[in-house]
Amino acid sequence: MADVTQSVNVFEQIRLVAGLRWRILRNSLRKKNNRLDLIGLIFTGIFSGIVVIGLCFAFYAGAYAFLSRGRLEWMALLFWGIFLFWQLFPVFVAGFGASFEFRTLLRFPLNLRAFYIIGLAYGFADFSALASICWLLAMTAGAAVAKPGVLPAMLVIVAAFILLNATLERLIGSWLERLLARRRTRELFLGLFVLSMVSLNFLSPLMQRYGASARPVFLRVLPYFAWFPPSLAGRALAAIIRLQPAGFLLNSALLLLYLVLFSALLWRRFAAQYRGEEVSETAAPARTAVRPIAGKDHGPDRLSLLSPPVAAVVRKEFRYLTRNGFAYLTLLMPPLLIMIFSMNFAGRHPTVGGKGVSADIFFPGMMAYLILILMAPAYNSFAYEGRGIQTYFTAPLRFRDVLLGKNLMLVSVLSVEIALSIAMLAWRVGLPSAHMLVATCAAIIFTIVGQLTVANWSSITFPRKMEFGQMRGQRQSGMAVLVAFASQILMGGISAVILFTGNWTGNPWLPAEAFVLLAAAAVGGYFASLDALTKLAEEKKEGLIEALCR
Amino acid sequence: MPEMAIQTQKLTRRFGNLTAVDGIDLQVAAGQFFGFLGPNGAGKSTTIKILTGLLAPTSGSMQLLGVDFAENPVEVKRQIGVVPEGMGLFERLTGSEYLKFVGRMYGLDRATTQRRSEELLDFMQLADRPKTMIADYSHGMQKKLALAAAVIHGPRILFLDEPFEGVDALAAGALKALLARMTERGTTIFLTSHVLEIVERLCSHVAIIHKGRLVAQGSLEELRAGISSEAGSKTTLEQIFLSIVGQDGTERPQLEELSWLM
Repeated sequence: MADVTQSVNVFEQIRLVAGLRWRILRNSLRKKNNRLDLIGLIFTGIFSGIVVIGLCFAFYAGAYAFLSRGRLEWMALLFWGIFLFWQLFPVFVAGFGASFEFRTLLRFPLNLRAFYIIGLAYGFADFSALASICWLLAMTAGAAVAKPGVLPAMLVIVAAFILLNATLERLIGSWLERLLARRRTRELFLGLFVLSMVSLNFLSPLMQRYGASARPVFLRVLPYFAWFPPSLAGRALAAIIRLQPAGFLLNSALLLLYLVLFSALLWRRFAAQYRGEEVSETAAPARTAVRPIAGKDHGPDRLSLLSPPVAAVVRKEFRYLTRNGFAYLTLLMPPLLIMIFSMNFAGRHPTVGGKGVSADIFFPGMMAYLILILMAPAYNSFAYEGRGIQTYFTAPLRFRDVLLGKNLMLVSVLSVEIALSIAMLAWRVGLPSAHMLVATCAAIIFTIVGQLTVANWSSITFPRKMEFGQMRGQRQSGMAVLVAFASQILMGGISAVILFTGNWTGNPWLPAEAFVLLAAAAVGGYFASLDALTKLAEEKKEGLIEALCR
Repeated sequence: MPEMAIQTQKLTRRFGNLTAVDGIDLQVAAGQFFGFLGPNGAGKSTTIKILTGLLAPTSGSMQLLGVDFAENPVEVKRQIGVVPEGMGLFERLTGSEYLKFVGRMYGLDRATTQRRSEELLDFMQLADRPKTMIADYSHGMQKKLALAAAVIHGPRILFLDEPFEGVDALAAGALKALLARMTERGTTIFLTSHVLEIVERLCSHVAIIHKGRLVAQGSLEELRAGISSEAGSKTTLEQIFLSIVGQDGTERPQLEELSWLM
């Protein structure tokens, strides 16, 4: 007869989960490929430590100053800062965390209460929680030094505030987990997230244009913020200093009410998970459209100029592009960015008094920026192949066909993007002089084709798997990032120097001539490199397959 | 002398200090349904990866259909089909798109690729989900699609790594019939599976690899004759396998050590 396990103490289980998280992080850094990531992590750790400690002083000083100068209402601002950081930061940096599925713990003999407590405790292991708690303690210290009598009340408020934030953060996290379990939702969310980040750039011009008229609306809405937890915490503290116990009790009670509400909602979520809620997409969709697939692909081959393998890779790349929500957004970005930059820096917009940066500078500058953005994925171009990479090595083709297909697709996308951006520039800022237009177009060919050779080498040598629509764990190889950075600086530097030679020598067509020569050399070099890269791919195929099939 | 589909000489693959494949000499005649067996970690998948060009051997040589792999890999790959470990699918394509992609990669013209894709999807019962991406297929459906992709160009040698794992009984029956038919028409099938009953039922010849070394090779009758057994010709492949692989007594788990479980 087998032994029967004894029930394990909840706190022992929390300790085990903490140990598990630590070991996952440690083991992920033991891989050879992740040495550079470890260096990055150390730098990030040092930088984060400096930021947290620095802000501890700021919160200490803020709390001390507000209380000692009698600006009690302003304490709510400090609570608001911490609240927003604690709730938003985990969403923003989801990609940097070690991946761990909290729900996998359900296989172990836990009761719902233990599952809830472990789930809540798990939330305290996040950077945002640890940093926020440090800042709240610093605030408490500052408040206690300014007004020692406030310490007991401050401790109660801070304790409730910490518990409330941890509960809300886990609640948002578990809802996000549920929403993002489906691939389409995940991609949509990622898209909206990136779009919202981009749209922040519009804030400044919008505020300049509509700031004055928006102010009364903002002031009308402001009082409603008083009913949110950070304001309640600030008001409870202010009430105790003003010796208004009723105010303190009322605001504390409302704070606790929020805590109870969030706890109940979190309990509901965890209970659903505990009962075995299935949130991911299932293998078989509920409803399927039964219809034949015949007779729709017999038209003339639009890619008949290409060899069948190259055409197949181009088609596959196009299909992957159309099914990657994030890639779609990167295509939307360039014209958007041109609009943003032209609003801020150039052209005839009233905010720059009609004396923006000239089109001769703005045009090549914007093109360089676009190439910087759009070429970045080329340095890890096999990222989304997954196990499919094996097909390239089992099929009867030379790897140059794969590289050619991928590069052709990228160049086509770049051409469309650049054409759109030039149209946007012409509308917003105006076109540059003819010699600058020709020089920039030749420089575009030079920098793109020149980078493609290096990017192909980087993709083969430093591959890193990425998943569509995933936010967590989506990082390029550290070396690929460095190579891309160095290559782009080199290309950008060469191009900038050549562009300015026109001014220095007094021959405006000199840069155009130089870039045409360089572009021809880059194209020649690119085709010459394909065979060497094919050989390299053969040598590196084990590493490539291992990295992408993981 | 039959035409040889696969021949290897002292094929070896080392990973650092570990020798995963240790000087194996395989001989598989054309048209054979060949089972390649071995316990976990014996070197089966490594061997298949080497034979299909996914992994380079550390030393040794191999010829497929008489063509030296190292000298003419593209020509060899044109003749073989593979269902690799993990299936090697592009998950963001639909089944139809993937088959068309693979067909074109093997150099088939568009019309042939289109026709064969439709026939294979029909045969594999995957045609009713034309817009479903492979990522949303079940494991069994992915397996069937990987098989379809492996045969779309009509290979002369087919390498299958655990082809029936996760495939339902109906589809497995149809696939087995298809594979048997292919061998009748001269295709060589090189198959690994942990389900010895399947190998015994399908394969005419078997090789067993153990700790990277080829420890047995031949027809089932030859292997049966090679071991002493009271049952004689009724010896099952499982008994043959255990008698060869478990000879040194270290492979069988010792149940006595798990007395706390019983």
